[in-house]
Amino acid sequence: MSKLFIFKNVLVLYMTEKVCAIGAGSTKYGKLSESIIEIALSAAKDAIESAGITPKQIQAGYISNVFGVADKQVHMAPVIMSNLGISQVPGLTIESACGSGSVMFREAFANVAAGFYDCVLALGVEKVTHTGTAHSTTLFSYCSDFFYEGGNGASFPGLFASMARAYMTTHKATEEDLANVAVKNHENGFHNPKAHVRKKITVDDVMKSPVVASPLKILDCCPFSDGASAVILCSEEFAKKSGKPYVEVIGSGRGASPAAVQGREDITTIPSTVAAAKAAYKMAGITAKDIDFAEVHDCFTIAEIIDIEDLGFFPKGKAAKAVRDGATRLDGEIPINPSGGLKSKGHPIGATGVGQVVEVFDQFTGRAGERTVNGAEIALTHNFGATGASAAVHIFKKVDRK
Amino acid sequence: MSEAKHGIREKFIEAANRKKILAHKCSKCSQLMLETVMFCEKCGASKFEDVELDGKGTVVTYTIQAVAPEGFEDAGSYAWVVFKINRTQLRASGFLPGVKTPKDLPIGAKVEVTGFDPKHGLLLKQD
Repeated sequence: MSKLFIFKNVLVLYMTEKVCAIGAGSTKYGKLSESIIEIALSAAKDAIESAGITPKQIQAGYISNVFGVADKQVHMAPVIMSNLGISQVPGLTIESACGSGSVMFREAFANVAAGFYDCVLALGVEKVTHTGTAHSTTLFSYCSDFFYEGGNGASFPGLFASMARAYMTTHKATEEDLANVAVKNHENGFHNPKAHVRKKITVDDVMKSPVVASPLKILDCCPFSDGASAVILCSEEFAKKSGKPYVEVIGSGRGASPAAVQGREDITTIPSTVAAAKAAYKMAGITAKDIDFAEVHDCFTIAEIIDIEDLGFFPKGKAAKAVRDGATRLDGEIPINPSGGLKSKGHPIGATGVGQVVEVFDQFTGRAGERTVNGAEIALTHNFGATGASAAVHIFKKVDRK
Repeated sequence: MSEAKHGIREKFIEAANRKKILAHKCSKCSQLMLETVMFCEKCGASKFEDVELDGKGTVVTYTIQAVAPEGFEDAGSYAWVVFKINRTQLRASGFLPGVKTPKDLPIGAKVEVTGFDPKHGLLLKQD
């Protein structure tokens, strides 16, 4: 459909198509032996087949990736398009650190919404585990504001540990409160066959695991993962014609924060999340109370605590108690990370934001198995880059095709 | 852009080696920012006056890096610290060696800049 509005005394006409996801696929997340292109193509094939389309129907490709150079491949979009047999289809590769997937998804969404394309591929991919933990840690540190952070000795666990200390000091939370997040996400991830770490853990396990950067321990941290996730996005008309089950994207928001932790007035909140959520809720015409479950960016346990406050699910300072009381479990009032989250499902950073959308698609089309959130109709995804310097939030609605 | 030798970061490092933090003060609205900001975050102006702040402050938050990243393996036990610079609302961050447990560094502890190390960045010590 088209819309008219007046901006600075000028009449503006723009297209606003409803945007839907009609197909989704992921590789397993973990240590993968294939090349980064093979990993990407595997997820693309799954998404294309689940949508019931052929690659010839794809009009553009949006690819998110951060460290392709580590597997000797940048300018990835045309390579992926060529190997899908559609070398004439334009592609775009987007990087926004750990938030690359959602930021890229936003661009894919916007182009379909604007009416430029009827059907696009949104694909995220990463491969880093072959570089080893020490070098992966170094690569990730380049996503920080390096002069102030990585260059002064802070790893990413260290940066989030500094946020954890600030949060614990301000809101009297404990290390056990953080551990509860890990335990819950591993419970969910145990039921996800594509999760990197399918293992249930206890609070005691977390507390006794080695310290990486105090107060965070190794079991407070997500793993380095390889993997890819892909979604086929299209116009509502295209989705209806497909005859396939689909999910509608009803909200999309972006936000930004000072790049360095030191630049934030309050280190216990992430401004980019707050802004992105506000924009997405406004676009969808709903509030946090309307969300049935959410996939959020839990790269470290403290991140999930901060996220679920910034997204409006719990008041500031109350998230730790909510997690402790079970409010975020699969059967809780607002299930968080039914997929297992970054913590258990894994964190192939270019793919993570897309993987969250795949989880929503799986949940709404009967593919989530034992981790299904019963009765869910509205879901939210939240993904950020670095310590939250950039973020995107999307909101989805289940479409009943009975 | 000027060569690194005379770049903004080089000026910051030179000041740090004199135990100072180099900041930008907006010529239009007097907003104080760290030296790497090129346009005033408050009013958008691009003219600044260099201000050398006394490199002393109080700890806002920190971590003790039990697993040191590459380049810091030889640093011993240390903290990465965010500190508020005295008599300003500005915050900076740096490398504080010799911190082994949180008991060594309560929030609000006093720290000061002692220099800039090419390997470890902005060096701090507890006041």
